[in-house]
Amino acid sequence: MRPEMEKVLAEIEKVIAGKREVITKILTALLADGHVLLDDVPGVGKTTLAVAISRAVGLAYKRVQFTPDVLPSDLVGFSVYSKESGGFSYHPGALNDANLLLGDEINRASSKTQSALLEAMEERQVTVDGVTHPLQKPFLVIATQNSVGAVGTQFLPYAQVDRFLVRLSLGYPDYAAQMEMLKNRQDTNPIGQVQCVVRKDALISMQEQVRQVISKDVILDYITRLTMASRAHAAADVGISPRGALFLDRMSKAHAWMDGRDYVTGGDVQAVFRDVCAHRVLLKENCDKTADDVLNDVLKTVENPDRHRRGLLKQ
Amino acid sequence: MKKRYVGYAVWLILACLLYFFENNTGTRIVLACSWMLPFLPVIRRSLFEKDTASQQPKSISQTIKTFAARAEDVPGDVRAYLPGDSVNRIHWKLSAKRDVLLVREQAMEKTMEEAESQAVSEDGLSERHPIKKPLFQIVFSALLLALILLLAIPLAWQGTKALLNRLFAASEAVNAYAYERLTVPADQPVWLSAFLLGLALLSLLGLALLSGSRLLALCLMAGCVLFQVYFGLAFPAWVNVSLFVLHVLWMIRRPWEKAAVLAAAAGIAAVSFTVLLICPGVDAATETASESVRDRLSQIAQSITGVAQELPAGENEARRAHTQSLITGNQEARPDREYRLVTAEEKQISMPHWVNYLRIVLLLLLAVALVVFPFLPFAVLNRRRKKALEARQAFLSEDISEAITAIFQHVTAWLEATGNGEGNLPYAQWRADISPGYAERFAPCEKLFEEAAYSTHEMREEQRQQMLDLLNETERILQRKAGWKQRLRLRYKECLWV
Repeated sequence: MRPEMEKVLAEIEKVIAGKREVITKILTALLADGHVLLDDVPGVGKTTLAVAISRAVGLAYKRVQFTPDVLPSDLVGFSVYSKESGGFSYHPGALNDANLLLGDEINRASSKTQSALLEAMEERQVTVDGVTHPLQKPFLVIATQNSVGAVGTQFLPYAQVDRFLVRLSLGYPDYAAQMEMLKNRQDTNPIGQVQCVVRKDALISMQEQVRQVISKDVILDYITRLTMASRAHAAADVGISPRGALFLDRMSKAHAWMDGRDYVTGGDVQAVFRDVCAHRVLLKENCDKTADDVLNDVLKTVENPDRHRRGLLKQ
Repeated sequence: MKKRYVGYAVWLILACLLYFFENNTGTRIVLACSWMLPFLPVIRRSLFEKDTASQQPKSISQTIKTFAARAEDVPGDVRAYLPGDSVNRIHWKLSAKRDVLLVREQAMEKTMEEAESQAVSEDGLSERHPIKKPLFQIVFSALLLALILLLAIPLAWQGTKALLNRLFAASEAVNAYAYERLTVPADQPVWLSAFLLGLALLSLLGLALLSGSRLLALCLMAGCVLFQVYFGLAFPAWVNVSLFVLHVLWMIRRPWEKAAVLAAAAGIAAVSFTVLLICPGVDAATETASESVRDRLSQIAQSITGVAQELPAGENEARRAHTQSLITGNQEARPDREYRLVTAEEKQISMPHWVNYLRIVLLLLLAVALVVFPFLPFAVLNRRRKKALEARQAFLSEDISEAITAIFQHVTAWLEATGNGEGNLPYAQWRADISPGYAERFAPCEKLFEEAAYSTHEMREEQRQQMLDLLNETERILQRKAGWKQRLRLRYKECLWV
């Protein structure tokens, strides 16, 4: 792993123990300039994680706790009449000056609030009263949704889930991690110890480097074959979208960069495939498979690029 | 490409229809000329070469292809400009008129050859051997011509029969000679010869299995059929049919494709029909010929040794009488003959007329197979060796990245061939523990391969050397560890590579 990312990881691990893998994935998504959807039960440290990341990377952190009465204007800002100027002035919302936005329990928001957020995620700008305001760079949304007490909530529809780069799940810590956490929190909250080890502009230049990572045609061919196979799978009603393919490429690049390479290999694609694509596969009704099963089948059946090349030479 | 074969099929059907028409009406004029038909450019074009122009352009420059397509309707002596044509040959006037570069054609034949070679390259067979296609067409035309001649001219038909009879007679002569020279007591056990024969068959089968070639299977089957026809010894028809069914099941690709299964079913039906209908037996004329040869041989033997052969009294007369009875139809069973004897009359009654023609076609095909058969294994081996050499050539390629990729793919091919790695699994999950310390050498090479295959980095000469070392080591270890079956397979591959 790149030393700078190793440092960031070490800082974050001060507050969250034993979740190295998921944190790495979130950092990778951050590098790939994509948004993260955390699917989790309450109280496993999603907020702590977001705060720790924003501190370690020096990002401006905002948090929105979604409830049914949060309105779009709370997110994107609104215009208000001001007596002095005699015109309307713009009051920025929660999105405007955030680099990292934690949207907690996004499934509790009304659908118009959800769509306002998702539009901002996609376009990276908000438009109020015909005036477009660009958002901060970088802009990362970590949205959480939990299924506990989900009665009367609106889970994100497929079209909106598709806009998240990865869907992850923190899950409960294991015995050792929880013991360590309890010990650490006896007198102080370790969140104060997290230091900024990577500056914001350094992060932006890293994102630029990630964009420069090379995916050769064989890799793009592999991604295409993977997505096509997922669409043709018997258990899948809707397969991986073209946007999914695009995200898969981007995430693979970030993964390769994290590994210290400037080229994508088939292994990178395989490593990020499940996280990027699991929420993009809609299963048929009355089907006893899970999305992960479908993706595993796809990975098994589609020839990886090494083998695909070798197939040409096969005697 | 498919259209082309449809063309051939249509042509064949037309020829047959024509023949029957002429045969029934008694005319001979069209027939006399019909053998020229395959060579007439008009028909050749419309039947065989129409598809070359309409085929989707696949590669090279799109523009050239569109030129060619637009130049479809030009007169016969010009064609679309292709890179490499001399500028002098451009038909400027016509080119200006049509807004497409056109060149003068030197002869009609030339275009067709080029169309052929173009078709070949578009089929993806090989761009380097454009010569093969015309050769195929020449052979096919010659066969057609021969077929039509045979069907058309009774004399040729008789001649063929006579020729075949000679062939049979020659084989009989050999048999007879062997019979005279290598006499065996009647109660001699046959297990040794059966064992040897079985061994030969098994080794052939083993070769086919080892090489993984379906072509060899085909050869085996062809050999089986030839054996039966040539020696006049027929298994019962149901044995033949079930043999063939087994064989076809072997030949079908797995996982089974619908088209392949359909084709196989059609093939099974056709062969069952043919075998059941035309059980190979021995002609009366053949019998006569072989009897006369045998007589002559015994006469020669007499003249050499000066001693009369000890034939049972009246044996020669008995043979002659038997042959005569075959010809006249008063057949009496001969207990010492294993094969079935069929008189001409019997055949006339039991079989429809056209069966004879079918038989001739079959025999011709068999004759061709007989000519090709001995060369097939060599052809297969040569093709494989060439491929292998091409693969090895890549090791020394100027482009080091390409070389490293090729070498590593060879390493993985070795590992896979010996069951140490499989299919789609990442290399990390392959069994790299084939010898102590191998995994440590394999891992950096895997990284090297990934760099060579997926990055645009410049690779260095010593990295190629590192890869080559890994390949050599892998080969050495695997050959030492392999079981006899794997070793045979590896040895076979090795002989291709060296």
